[in-house]
Amino acid sequence: MIEVQGLTKSYGSVAAVCDLSFSVAPGEVLGLVGPNGAGKTTTLRSLAGIVRPGGGTIRVGGHDMERDPVAAKRVLAFMPDEPHLFDYLTVEEHLRFTARLYQVTDVERRLPALLQELELSEKAKALPGELSRGMKQKLVIGCGLLHDPTALLFDEPLTGLDPSGIRRMKQTIRERARQGAAVVLSSHLLHLVEEICTRVLIMQRGRKVALGTIEEILTERPDLRGRSLEDIFLTLTGT
Amino acid sequence: MIEAALYLTGRSLVNATRRRVARLRQPKYLIGLVVGALYFYWFFFRPRRGGGLGAVASPGGEIVAVGLLSTLVLLKWLFGSAETPFTFSLAETQYLFTAPLTRRQVIDFKLLRSQLPLFFSALLSALIFSGGQVSGLRLFRVVGLWLVYSTLQLHYAGASLLWASLTQQGVTGWRRRLGTLLGLALVVALVWWSLRRALPGIVSAFQDGSTQGYAALTSVMHSGPLGVLLWPLEALVAPLVAASPVAFASRLPAALLVLAVHYVWVVRSTLAFEEAAVEHAAKVARRVEAARQGRWGERTIRARQSTGPIRLRLAPTGGPAGAILWKNAVGATRDLRPRTLVLLVALVIAGSMTLASGPLRALDLVAVMLLGLGAIALVLGPLTARCDLRQDFEMLDVLKGYPVHGRDVVRGEVAAPVTLIGLVVWSCLLGAFAATASRPGPELPSLGDRLALLVAALPATAAVLLVLVLVQNAAVLLFPAWVSVGRDRAVGLEATGQRILMTAASLVALLVALVPATIAGGIAGVGAHAVGLSALWAVALGILVASGVVVFEGAMAVSFLGGVFDRIDPAGTGTG
Repeated sequence: MIEVQGLTKSYGSVAAVCDLSFSVAPGEVLGLVGPNGAGKTTTLRSLAGIVRPGGGTIRVGGHDMERDPVAAKRVLAFMPDEPHLFDYLTVEEHLRFTARLYQVTDVERRLPALLQELELSEKAKALPGELSRGMKQKLVIGCGLLHDPTALLFDEPLTGLDPSGIRRMKQTIRERARQGAAVVLSSHLLHLVEEICTRVLIMQRGRKVALGTIEEILTERPDLRGRSLEDIFLTLTGT
Repeated sequence: MIEAALYLTGRSLVNATRRRVARLRQPKYLIGLVVGALYFYWFFFRPRRGGGLGAVASPGGEIVAVGLLSTLVLLKWLFGSAETPFTFSLAETQYLFTAPLTRRQVIDFKLLRSQLPLFFSALLSALIFSGGQVSGLRLFRVVGLWLVYSTLQLHYAGASLLWASLTQQGVTGWRRRLGTLLGLALVVALVWWSLRRALPGIVSAFQDGSTQGYAALTSVMHSGPLGVLLWPLEALVAPLVAASPVAFASRLPAALLVLAVHYVWVVRSTLAFEEAAVEHAAKVARRVEAARQGRWGERTIRARQSTGPIRLRLAPTGGPAGAILWKNAVGATRDLRPRTLVLLVALVIAGSMTLASGPLRALDLVAVMLLGLGAIALVLGPLTARCDLRQDFEMLDVLKGYPVHGRDVVRGEVAAPVTLIGLVVWSCLLGAFAATASRPGPELPSLGDRLALLVAALPATAAVLLVLVLVQNAAVLLFPAWVSVGRDRAVGLEATGQRILMTAASLVALLVALVPATIAGGIAGVGAHAVGLSALWAVALGILVASGVVVFEGAMAVSFLGGVFDRIDPAGTGTG
C-alpha cells in the first residue's frame, strides 16, 4: 500500500510537485503520465526516499517515509529509467550486495536460478562496462525484486529492453501486482499504461490533472468519450 | 584529415577554456584558481639554485637521459600489457568510424590528437626540470622533450600491438614473457660484454676527473655493437641534450628518423592487427555457431573473467556498514594481483641485499624501506585511495534508496579506505619490527623499547588515518560542490587549488582532533610514568589513550555525518 498526502517538492523557486495526493492499493498498478517536466520522476524519487519532500506525507507499507525511512524502504523497490550500477562490482556481486542490505539470507541458494531468469548466467562475472543497456536494466530489476517488495516503483521500465524483455517486463509487473504488490509506473508509452495499469494519474506542472480508471476520467469528462488515451492525455494536458 | 584534427583540437581547447573562464563566477573555482596560481607562481618563479634542465647538456646528461630512456623501454617490455594503445572516446567512435575514412587516417587522427597533451607534458616537465626558472626555459629543449615523449608513446603502442598480435597467434603468458626475457638477456649480455672490455679505461678516466670519465663512457656508448644497439636512443635524446639551438638543429634529422620509423612500425602493426582482429572475430563467431549447433568438439571460447584473483566474500547476514565496506574493498582490490605484492616484496628484499654493506644489514634496509613505504601510505593514501564517498557520491540516488541509516552508510564508506590503507601501514610497521627483531643494537633501542614503539605506532597510525579519511568524506557531504567526485579526478589550476585547500583543511582538522586527544593521552602517560612505568611504555600508553579519544571523536563525526547524509538532497548537491 502506498499513500501520498499533500506531497510538495520545490527546487529553488520552481515547484516540481504541488500538493499531490493519491494512494495505490495492493494489487493495483497506477500509471503516472504527464509531459516532460510534469514532476513524475520527482514524485517517484520522493516515494523512493531519495529526495525529501518539502511538505506532505508518504507512507509505504504502513511506514512513514519521513519518520521511519529504513522500514519503508525495506518493502520498496525503485527501478529508475537509467540503470545505475557500481562500475566496480560484477553482476553476481551486485546481487549479493543488495541481498545483504535487504537481509535476504538465502541469496546463495537463489542466485543461480535468479541469474538464469535474468538471462545473465553467462555474465555473472562481468562488470557493468561489459553489459548492454538491456542487461544493465535486467540487473537493476533483478536487484530490485530480490527482496520480494510489496511496493514497486518503475520509471520508464521498457527503455532499452528487446521485444522479449518487454514482454517479460510486462508479465513481471502484472505478476507482482497479482501477488499483492502496489505498483506505480511512470511512462511516456501510453499504450503500455493503457495495457497494464488499473488506474492513471495524469500530471502537469507538478499538479494532478486527472486520477482514476479510464472510465472514471471519462465520466468526469464525457466530451472525451470514444477517444484514445493519447487523445485524452493531450487534451487534458493541453500539449 | 590534418585540418579536421587541428580543427577539433583547436575548438575543443577554445571551448574548454571558455567554459573554465565562465565557471570562475562560482567562488569554488575562483578561489581554487587563485590558490592554484599562487602555488604555481611559488613553484615556478621563486628564485632557486641549480642548473635545471640546462644540466642535461653537461657531459653526464646524455648518459643519464639514455639510461632513463633504456629503463623505461625495458620496463615496458618486461611489464607492459597487450591492451590496445588507442582508446577512442564514444564520440570519436561514433564520428570517426562511421566517417568515410580509412583505418590509417583514423589512426593518424588519433596520433595527431595526442600531440597537444604531449606538448603540454613536455612544457610542464621542462618547467619543472628548469628549477622553476621560466627565464631559463629554452624552446628547443621543450621540442626535444616533446620528440622523446612522442616516440616513447609510439614505442609503447608498438610493443602493445606486437603483444596483442602474439596473443592472437596463441603465444601468451609465460611463453611470451620468456621470449621477451631471452631478448632482453641478449641485450644485457651485449651491454655487459661491451662495457667489460672498456671498463678499466672508463674507471681510469673517472680517476682523472668526471669530465674525462663521462667522455670515455660516451665514447664506448658511441662505438662497437653497443653504439649500434643504443643508436636509436642516443639519436632521440641528442636534440634534448644539445648545448645550443644550432647543435639542436644538426641533431634533429636523426631524431626525426627514429620517430618516423616508429610511426611506420605502429601504423603497419595497427593495420595488421585490425585485419587479425576481424579474422579473430570471425573465428569466434564460427565457434559460437558450432557450439549452438551442438558441435562441442570444436574448442569453445572461455568467458572473460572480470573478477581479480583476490576474492573477498560477503557474508549473507550482518550489518549494512559491513556490506558497504565489502563493496568498496572489492572495487579497490579488483585489479590487485598477488604477483604484484610478491614483486614488491622481492624488490624490497633484492634492493636491500644489494645495498647492504658493513654494519648496515639487509634486514635493516628492509625495515627502513618498509617504514618509508608505511609513511607514504599514511600520508598519501587518504588522498589517493578514493574508495569511499568521493567515489560513491555519484551513486547518491542508489545509496539513498537502500533501507540503511545514513550513519551506517558513512561508517561503511569511511571504513573502506581506513581498513585498506591501515592494512598496508600496519603490515609495514609489523614487517619493520620483525626485520629488526633479532638486531641486538647498540644502534637501535632495546627490543622491549621497540615493542613499546610498535604498540604506540599501531593505534596512532590508525587514528591519524581515520581523521584524514573522515575529513575527505566530510568535505563531500558538507561541501559537495567543492569536491570532485567520481573516479576521474578533476584537472587544471582550479582543481590544484581546491586540492591544496582540502589538504590544508585536513591538517587543521587533524590538529583540532589531536588537541583533546593529546591532553587525555598526556595525562595518562604522565600518570603512568609517575606510578613507575618506563618513559617509552608511558608514552605508548599515552598514545593508546589519545588514539582512543580520536576514535571516539571519529565515531561522533560519523554519527553527525550520517545525519547529514539522511538530510542531503541529491538534486541540490551541485557536485563538480
